[in-house]
Amino acid sequence: MTAHIDLSKAGILAESSAVRVALLPPVARFSLRAATPEQKALSKALGVTLPAKIGQCGRKGDIEIICLGPDEWTIIAPEDQAGTINDVCAAIYAKTPHSLTEISDREVTVHITGPKASDLITIGCPRDLDQLPVGEARRTVFDGVTTVLWRDGEQDYRLDLWRSFAPHVIALLETGCAELAGE
Amino acid sequence: MTAFRVPGRGRVLHNRPVSFTFDGDTYQGLEGDTVASALIANGVHLMGRSFKYHRPRGPIAAGSEEPNALIGTRRGKGQFEPNTRATVQEIWNGLETSSQNKYPNLKFDIGAINDRLYMLFSAGFYYKTFMWPRSFWDKVYEPFIRAAAGLGVSPTEPDPDNYASRYLHTDILVVGAGPAGLAAARAAAESGLRVTLVDENAEPGGTILSEPQAKIDGKPAWDWLEAELDALTDLGVRIMTRTTAIGYYHQNMIGLCQKLTDHLEKPAASTPRERMWRVRAKQVILAQGALEKPLVFDGNDRPGVMLAGSAQTYLNRYGVRVGNNAVVVTSHDSAWYAAFDLASAGTKIGAIVDTRPTPNADLVKEAAARGITVFAGYTATGTSGRLRIKSVRINKVENGTVLAAQTLACDSLLVCGGWTPSLHLFSHTKGTLKWDDQSQTFLPDRITEDCQIAGAGRGLWGIEAALNDGAAMGTAAAKALGKTATVKTLSVADDRPGTGASHTELPTDLDAGKARAFVDYQNDVTAKDLRLAVREGMRSIEHVKRYTTNGMATDQGKMSNINGLNIAADALGKKQPEVGLTTFRPPYTPTTFGAFVGYHKGDHFEVTRKTPIDSWAEENGAVFEPVSLWRRAWYFPKDGEDMDAAVRRECRETRKSLGMFDASTLGKIEVVGPDAVEFMNRMYTNPWTKLAPGRTRYGLLLGDDGYIRDDGVIGRLTDDRFHITTTTGGAARVLNMMEDYLQTEWPDLKVWLTSTTEQWATIALNGPNARNLLAPFVEGLDISDEAFPHMSIAECTVAGFPARLFRVSFTGELGFEVNVPARHGRALWETLFAAGQKYDICPYGTETMHVLRAEKGFIIVGQDTDGTVTPYDAGAGWAVGKNKPDFVGMRALNRPDLTAEGRKQLVGLLTDDGTSKLEEGAQIVLDPNQPIPMKMVGHVTSSYHSDAAGRPIALALIEGGHGKTGETVYIPMPDRTIRATITGTVFYDPENARLKL
Repeated sequence: MTAHIDLSKAGILAESSAVRVALLPPVARFSLRAATPEQKALSKALGVTLPAKIGQCGRKGDIEIICLGPDEWTIIAPEDQAGTINDVCAAIYAKTPHSLTEISDREVTVHITGPKASDLITIGCPRDLDQLPVGEARRTVFDGVTTVLWRDGEQDYRLDLWRSFAPHVIALLETGCAELAGE
Repeated sequence: MTAFRVPGRGRVLHNRPVSFTFDGDTYQGLEGDTVASALIANGVHLMGRSFKYHRPRGPIAAGSEEPNALIGTRRGKGQFEPNTRATVQEIWNGLETSSQNKYPNLKFDIGAINDRLYMLFSAGFYYKTFMWPRSFWDKVYEPFIRAAAGLGVSPTEPDPDNYASRYLHTDILVVGAGPAGLAAARAAAESGLRVTLVDENAEPGGTILSEPQAKIDGKPAWDWLEAELDALTDLGVRIMTRTTAIGYYHQNMIGLCQKLTDHLEKPAASTPRERMWRVRAKQVILAQGALEKPLVFDGNDRPGVMLAGSAQTYLNRYGVRVGNNAVVVTSHDSAWYAAFDLASAGTKIGAIVDTRPTPNADLVKEAAARGITVFAGYTATGTSGRLRIKSVRINKVENGTVLAAQTLACDSLLVCGGWTPSLHLFSHTKGTLKWDDQSQTFLPDRITEDCQIAGAGRGLWGIEAALNDGAAMGTAAAKALGKTATVKTLSVADDRPGTGASHTELPTDLDAGKARAFVDYQNDVTAKDLRLAVREGMRSIEHVKRYTTNGMATDQGKMSNINGLNIAADALGKKQPEVGLTTFRPPYTPTTFGAFVGYHKGDHFEVTRKTPIDSWAEENGAVFEPVSLWRRAWYFPKDGEDMDAAVRRECRETRKSLGMFDASTLGKIEVVGPDAVEFMNRMYTNPWTKLAPGRTRYGLLLGDDGYIRDDGVIGRLTDDRFHITTTTGGAARVLNMMEDYLQTEWPDLKVWLTSTTEQWATIALNGPNARNLLAPFVEGLDISDEAFPHMSIAECTVAGFPARLFRVSFTGELGFEVNVPARHGRALWETLFAAGQKYDICPYGTETMHVLRAEKGFIIVGQDTDGTVTPYDAGAGWAVGKNKPDFVGMRALNRPDLTAEGRKQLVGLLTDDGTSKLEEGAQIVLDPNQPIPMKMVGHVTSSYHSDAAGRPIALALIEGGHGKTGETVYIPMPDRTIRATITGTVFYDPENARLKL
């Protein structure tokens, strides 16, 4: 038997006095790739300046852009804005070559909050969370699984997980949720 | 109150009795006791039998260095642990413990016959005895050695406990919460750094717990300790007890094993038994103190013989006197204080025997004041007592001559041969040690990591010296991290600084060759063994260690290494540093497998990737198989079908009407950019320039060695956008390889790669009714054969979901692959399954997929290829673009050995009897009558029953196979030799008529 997690339903996955783990509803996600000269035009088209430093996030309205590499960003937006994002990028493609690829369904996002949220992250993530400022994110691993870890508050995190790996990670988060409550 | 408990003394809770069992008998102890302290309080010293000679043994120490008192503990079903140190295991109501290495019981043990025959069991005994006759090895020697090997009994039941792990980042990790560690933590924490202080004991304090007489900064030691711990907590120091730093790895990565429940009667169900902490520290301060050495003399191992410092710990920390009538034999000042403490508590001190002719005058005066007889310049030459020491034999030594003996009666013998700085973790870092002639021990020399060593760990002695060195090292660590800090010194009254002498085995007037003078208690290595090893030619301490097993037990020579080195060096006539010190390796103390395993057991053993359709497969009875990290539906048995029957049915129904298959695990990479087609031309063997948008092509990917690495169908969506599919297992590898070329070889190309494997759920429909099922659901696309021929791709809507639709076939039947965003995978599957009922739609698994593709001769990379197969070997030369300027692997394909005759080539095989199914992996020969070893010309790569072919079919790699069509080959099996004929690789519908529906 292996862990069963229904990824089709957003909502609480595990909750204890220490921490709450919830699956967030779907969002539109795009992987954006472009060389340096193109970034200005893309920022303009998207209405959000592409952050230049890896791990930094840019935000405007409901759109959130994280820089994951020197030429790599992930754009997150409400689902109803996916079409617009596609269109504005397509419109400048000829003069501003880039790659915009939809990955909305590639990943799911788990929301982790509660007084011991940071402790829960440490059961699987080898990063120093004191070096992850609120408002930034990092591509890292959780229990060996690639993830993007967002810090939205001192004890408020999002974990983007590739869909097929999510049950493994969520199962450990559930274990940790109970473990932390018992401390 | 038990006989040896001192009322009100120690840190145990005298009003909280605890009962536990040892070898079935119930004993009373107190909360805060270890098994050892509680048993000693009951007058029990005999706790085990030694490994080789089965000699009666009791605890010689009070901490984790204990080599003798190893017991089994049982906390419940499946919760048995052998070789637990009785000096570490805390007691609780209901704890069951048992002694080891004895039969039929601890007091009368048949194995003790070995002790009578000890002259036979010298160093190298095994090597010498079990050499001959050779025929004895399997039947006699190996079973004997296996029965004798190992301490304790392995657990037989599955471990029901849970184990945990965490990562921790800290600025400063302090290992050891004795005076040096406490002061280091304080200094570092006051500079504002994140500080973690760990100690393997149940409570912090180290030496301070054993020396309550000291006054630190004007306060009684224990009051100071309490206040200090509060201050550290207020400063935010993370203090972890029962936490052993087991290993010091590269770049200040330290493993900590924290024991969470072994000391609890009723641990909470959610609490793991142990937690492994993987710590990354900017600075490490090693404040592990020093370990007391025993003296080496005949009979130094009887129950009741104990390190003096440990006896002091039993008294001051646990409130237990180790005996009523103790004699002290020492070469160090520290043991005198233990004697004084015990005398004050009511134990008669028969004598203090010091090996030094002129011990410290103040100590001698104090002994005189207490009426304790002192023998200075004496040696110990023997003991008596079978299950407990009864007397010790001592002799005056004058000018190197051992004079007449006298015997002192005693029920306990406190020994001290000096102290060894505990440098195990420092040794893990490959920091070097330097021999210190004055203290006759190794001290830290060259430091290779960002670490400091403080206190007794670097040879300092006394609480004040340790405190102030700790403060200095804590300050140094803080400064190394850019903080300002000033060293604060503390003064300690009633401190016990001291010095000592170091010895090899003590001189004796008796036959040294007959002395049972133990150096390594756990492995029963004596001084005689070490000298014999040197006589027999061992020169390096590493060889002496392996020949005698000195220091190779679970205690890793914590007590024996320096004594062993002193003796070996003496035997060699060399200085200790010329003989060297063996290497300490992690873990510092024995660590459970559970702590290393952590969460990775049972369901969570390894990542199991699941497709969006996995849950449907499980609900519908699929049998799964692992494919890389994925689990995939293997086949869907119906009504008691076995695998063979289910697969044959799935194959039949798919070819007859319609099958559906979850292909979501296929790797997918989106290639986008103005240079996408150029990139494709360079990566794959095939030409892509002329592939029109809306069309797909089978792509073959080679390594730069010219061998097939991956394959898959690739669609061109627009001029600048390709949808690559890869093999399931190859997805990550292929993307890495492509990124590698892109970043290092072709950074000029304007093209980017994105993994879209998990963006899409992929459902393959195959069979003559595939279009009939699909067409009504497709919007925005005409999927007729004319409008959407074989090898097409288009974006459309399927059952209301946005989709990328491929017309492609891995079965030889009319086929489509529908890709929809992953979240819709199951819904689409269910829609198609329901609508497919009118076509008797058959969900099939990976095994049927394998059969159907083999019937068509389609290869599976990694099954029909093994990393040494070129496109030409595989019969896929047609996929190599002949007019391309370059592609990965092109030049290698022209290498002489890749174009040579006689390479193994992929062919079909049909067994001549028409019924035998070959075994995959079976070797193939041309002449079955040739002598063994036969020349093997190839092997079977794929083999299945094929209803479509009406017989078993196989694919094989055979030398020069393409030129051997029609020839007979033989497959020798254990029971018979099978004849087969080489054929082409296509067994079904060679005209591809069924694709053209």
